[in-house]
Amino acid sequence: MDGGWLALTGLFAGSSIRLAMPMLYGALGELVSERAGVLNLSIEGMMLTGAFAGAMGSLATGQPLLGLVIAVAAVLPIALLQAWLSVTLHANQIVTGIGINILVLGGTTFAYRELLGNRSRVQIPGLDSWQPAGLADLPLIGPALFQQNALVYVALGAALAIALVLRYTALGLAIHAAGTEPTALDKSGGSVRRIRYGAVVFAGVMSALGGAFLSLGDIHTFTEGMTNGAGYLALVGVIFGNWRTGRTVLACLFFGAATALQFQLPALGVPAPTALLIMLPYVMALLAVAGLVGRQSPPPALTQAYLP
Amino acid sequence: MTAVASLRLAFAGRPALLLPIGSVVVALLCGLGLIVAVGVPLQDAIAAFADGAWGSAYSVGASLNRAVALALVGLGFIVAHRANLTNVGGEGQIAIGGMASTALCLYGGAATLPGPLAWIVPLGAATLAGGAWSAIAGVLKVRVGTNEVISTLLLSFIAVWMLYGSVQSTSLLRQPMTNSATLPESLEIPANTQVPALIDGLDMPLHSGAAVLLALAIIVTVLLQRSLFGLRLRAVGLNPMAARRAGMPIATTIVLAMFIAGAFAGLAGGFMLQGEQFALKARFPSGYGLDGLVVGLLARGSVKGVLASALLFGFLRSGGISMELSANVPSAIVLIIQGLVVLLLAGSAWWLERAVRH
Repeated sequence: MDGGWLALTGLFAGSSIRLAMPMLYGALGELVSERAGVLNLSIEGMMLTGAFAGAMGSLATGQPLLGLVIAVAAVLPIALLQAWLSVTLHANQIVTGIGINILVLGGTTFAYRELLGNRSRVQIPGLDSWQPAGLADLPLIGPALFQQNALVYVALGAALAIALVLRYTALGLAIHAAGTEPTALDKSGGSVRRIRYGAVVFAGVMSALGGAFLSLGDIHTFTEGMTNGAGYLALVGVIFGNWRTGRTVLACLFFGAATALQFQLPALGVPAPTALLIMLPYVMALLAVAGLVGRQSPPPALTQAYLP
Repeated sequence: MTAVASLRLAFAGRPALLLPIGSVVVALLCGLGLIVAVGVPLQDAIAAFADGAWGSAYSVGASLNRAVALALVGLGFIVAHRANLTNVGGEGQIAIGGMASTALCLYGGAATLPGPLAWIVPLGAATLAGGAWSAIAGVLKVRVGTNEVISTLLLSFIAVWMLYGSVQSTSLLRQPMTNSATLPESLEIPANTQVPALIDGLDMPLHSGAAVLLALAIIVTVLLQRSLFGLRLRAVGLNPMAARRAGMPIATTIVLAMFIAGAFAGLAGGFMLQGEQFALKARFPSGYGLDGLVVGLLARGSVKGVLASALLFGFLRSGGISMELSANVPSAIVLIIQGLVVLLLAGSAWWLERAVRH
């Protein structure tokens, strides 16, 4: 293998990781939420809010990091709304998720037009890339693989932390109980309500970061409806990952690679059936939920409101 | 009894009617408030809205055609919902219907069929194709217990991208490339495969789908209220275990319910193609599936409710587009209103239940 191929592979891996990030953030949040029993269909809306608020915050303050904070702050009310509707009011989780997504798509599009008017596609101050000393200087693959912004490393750290918390801590056990046997959790002195609220808010924070990654870390602008289904893909990642942390991360990286191929194959002169590549994650997830890729084990209390 | 409590009871008496109306009114008021907040004179916005929604015979026809498609998706939704099945895949089922109908109109020889068969047969194919696509979700539910929300959502994405792919390739549905500016869409379907106008000579694009819709609405009403199948749907929705013990064919009922939901959405796709757009474009379903879902939710199981909410959203969409063009109000305001309606409805359902219990 000559250097050209290695560089190309590095480039491909780098863009796969970058394209997987929004999905990965959303999926990690959704994973915790679903493990606690709340199917949070509003990841898409939360990500879009994060992308929008992050971009506007960064534009207004000139500080991408402040934009990140504003993104998280803007998603909190939405996450609390989703939690309040689905946990406190026992509203249908799917219906509220769809409602939030429609509302946010309308709200961000409306606000974007009003705030920026015709100054659309304005370049916003984005997050700098952060290069771990040594790794980024590796010949050929270094620049492609390790010149990512810090959020990439945060995501990988978060994945590890989530896996550990879910597996080894009392909190992880409580989350598991809320999604498996909520009555048992309540009887043993825990609070299903508190755990589920926390899980939905966590999903909101992660989605906000995923959305902000898109607008601040990757594209450096906001466009209407820019998440374009990444939130739903995050959900698909959790399903394909069979509600396990490691497999969910791998699923998202794989989806990122499929997305990267859409851009790379045409660049290499390979006629790529774009639609097939975009469809691939959904087809794989469908095969997974159809039981053709091992047994699926969703949390038993998923989508079920808890009525004490 | 406090005023609030008596209000609750008054609402609780007719929740099926007052809850959706209340939600719509509140959402519309929020929309008006938003228009005022961004500084557009209210009368300008309303004039633009009225002009686009019902200002001319053309716009009335276009709004009604929209409403027909939305109502079809909504009717299918409430049939499946009677069995406690939520079909969120309307967008994809519309896409499948549109593809089936395009394929038949252009390459399946529909144009050589005599008389009205030329447009009826492709519509039938769209219906069957949409139904079959959605029945997959029913089969998965029965066989492996897959949540139909997840499977219809996945199927929907797959179908939408299948459509996208089909108009990118000339060996599928894309029109022959005569020059580099040829758009990625199908040829226009032959005139005799197009759905004829409902009333001849009227300067209005309203197609015959409106009559078909009314007939189907009556059939669905009878089906839900007076048929054995309607009873089974309800039994499966309320208590599948009891239904099984009573010897009801649960699996068949679930698959059939999903088939009907998808068939209605597929038919909506057929009408959208053969009655309005005439050529298949990459973004063909353009949100009708999602709007149809909102219509179904808003109807709360009633056929009349489906018709009323479909009319509301049909006109709302047309008016919204016109507001954007001539009054400078982003048409996204329609989405905001729709989202608010869904959330208000979902949230207040519990509030009413509690009012009834106390």
